[in-house]
Amino acid sequence: MTTKLKEVDVVIVGLGWTGGILAKELTEAGLKVVALERGAPRTSENDYSLPNIRDELRYVVRHDLMQNTARDTITVRNNPNQEALPMRRLGSFLPGEVVGGSGVHWSGHTWRWTDMEFKIRSNYEERYGKKFIPDDMTIQDWGITYDELEPYYEKFEYVAAVSGKAGNIKGQIQPGGNPFEAPRAKEYALPPLTPILASEMFSEAARNAGYHPFPRPSANASQPYTNPDGSKFGGCQYCGYCQRFGCEANAKGSPHMTVIPIAMRSPNFELRTHSWVTKVLKDSDGKRVTGVSYTNVLNGEEFEQPATIVLLCAYAINNVHLMLLSEIGAPYDPVAQKGVIGKNYCYQTGAGATLFFEGKFFNPFMSAGGSNATIDDFNINWAFDRAPHNFVGAYNVSGGFNTALPIGYRPVPSGTPQWGSEWKRATAKWYQTAMTISASGSVMANRYNCYDLDPTYRNAFGQPLMRMTFDYKANEHKMGTHAAQVINDIAKSMNPTKLNPARARTDPWTVVPYQSTHNTGGTIMGPNPRDSALNKYLQSWDCHNLFVVGANVFPHNASYNPTGPVGAFAYWVADAIKNRYVKNPGPLVAA
Amino acid sequence: MIGVARAAAILGLMVVLIGSARADGDAARGEARFQDCAACHKLEAGNNNVGPSLHGIFERKAGALSDFRYSPAMKRSGISWTPESLDKFITDPQAMVPANRMPYAGMANPGDRADLIAYLQKMSK
Repeated sequence: MTTKLKEVDVVIVGLGWTGGILAKELTEAGLKVVALERGAPRTSENDYSLPNIRDELRYVVRHDLMQNTARDTITVRNNPNQEALPMRRLGSFLPGEVVGGSGVHWSGHTWRWTDMEFKIRSNYEERYGKKFIPDDMTIQDWGITYDELEPYYEKFEYVAAVSGKAGNIKGQIQPGGNPFEAPRAKEYALPPLTPILASEMFSEAARNAGYHPFPRPSANASQPYTNPDGSKFGGCQYCGYCQRFGCEANAKGSPHMTVIPIAMRSPNFELRTHSWVTKVLKDSDGKRVTGVSYTNVLNGEEFEQPATIVLLCAYAINNVHLMLLSEIGAPYDPVAQKGVIGKNYCYQTGAGATLFFEGKFFNPFMSAGGSNATIDDFNINWAFDRAPHNFVGAYNVSGGFNTALPIGYRPVPSGTPQWGSEWKRATAKWYQTAMTISASGSVMANRYNCYDLDPTYRNAFGQPLMRMTFDYKANEHKMGTHAAQVINDIAKSMNPTKLNPARARTDPWTVVPYQSTHNTGGTIMGPNPRDSALNKYLQSWDCHNLFVVGANVFPHNASYNPTGPVGAFAYWVADAIKNRYVKNPGPLVAA
Repeated sequence: MIGVARAAAILGLMVVLIGSARADGDAARGEARFQDCAACHKLEAGNNNVGPSLHGIFERKAGALSDFRYSPAMKRSGISWTPESLDKFITDPQAMVPANRMPYAGMANPGDRADLIAYLQKMSK
């Protein structure tokens, strides 16, 4: 028995950063908004305060804030010739499932992606010729420009209390910042965090090598702060519990302590938690969506929520899953290279070295999400010539650490036994003396890296699981080799007592251990409906009253963390809906 | 012996200096210092957030609000909140009440603390 509810103006599926931003903006514009969130309601007062927090076993080992794979998961394979198997435990990535979504447990790294990404195919073709891009590399321009997005980046950075040092204000290079960044209109919301010893040592070595280190911009308030909406932040206490935890000092920009409580105070807004959306409903001619079906996971009751506008704001993977389950847009076929839904799934790659300095005390228990220093000399810098290395894409290198937890952080020199008294001695000896240098690298779209519905395995609602087909290709292997070399050169110049050198990833990708929650693509944006699922306003080419917001709209993955553009896009879509769509509902871009 | 007595006297003087809040705080400047606290503490009665409401703080003992879940350490502390005891507490919260749950490292500058306390004395009534 499905209960059909009263129609509302907007239904939002998933209440994290994007859903929270859109809920606030659209209720303020006078629209009636209902948000449906799978997870539980949680607040800083009751949940992210001592003694509930700083519990590594609960949050890191047992994934307290994450999706429960017993209810829904994905199946995974490296290439279309394999049989995909279900991921029965979370590993490589950690989708959040709670009010606030992954915005509760992120580290806070907030970057501005630039035209280097948004015009990727044009850029590389212009510089290196069409043949430089391999045939199976399905990268494409995004159909948006940095200049269009700039004010929305700023809006998100000021709401989320991003602390950093500008490197380029209106074209003027600023000392101490990232000289390669695209011009910004003004400084960051807050000055950078206090650097830790490891980031200072890395910065010095990088400068000596001729690179340009700068403090990593992060939504970790470097001092108490009231954002433009009036949300209050405490100053970061450098407790080291950012990634996978809610912030006990209210210093990490998160939707549950900024945009969501503002929406909650509006009479136009209603939040329903434990509400699992199973399908987006289409009208008879398939040109519009009419609402969503959802199940209350506490009692199994099923509902239909009609809405004039549907916004998919769930985790990137789940947004794509819902599009496939709802049969909106043509599913992508990697063999025929037809269709768009599921296309261009991308991940990230990387390499890392651990350096040991006898006699140094790094105090790794004191750090923040953004306490590393970074260089972009091999990232958004065209002076770095890719031609001799023959790869498309980029990587950033950072030194320091942003989390070093008591159970999991056990750095020992390679060659140390993995257990027993020898290991215990080594972990005690080296704990204070270790720091890391690591690279985070882009992954270019490939025709065979994609999503579709699994033919075999089903979730708790009887629906097919999403199937992920992914592996790193030669392009990423070449980039990883280059990155490992750069890391090792910097590391050796620092004369560590011992060095676990960086190595490029060349083995097939696996779903264990944890690597990165930066999954992108699947419902990509673009300039035309042949190659993309959404237009530049993240509006479905097929159903004009459906918008899909999240990293699933990125046509490829850059080396940077995705939340900066994800937040900026949410504000960009909010403006498009408020100022244009509501006044004249229909496609915002002619197909 | 004279040396020891003098050392004790100096020590005594230091204790007096550290142990007393400065009376010359500026409430207007203290409002800016309160930004440090405002992410967790509200001034309205009954508005408990991440931290307990600070309304009427100088008329109560530590851990006294029935509707806020204090740490056992704070409940046991036996502190009566006065300008002096609050000054000592916010200098280094973990030093005065070890294992309390307030995630705040402390305000080192005595002038800043005096301003903050002047502000709280005005606004918590």
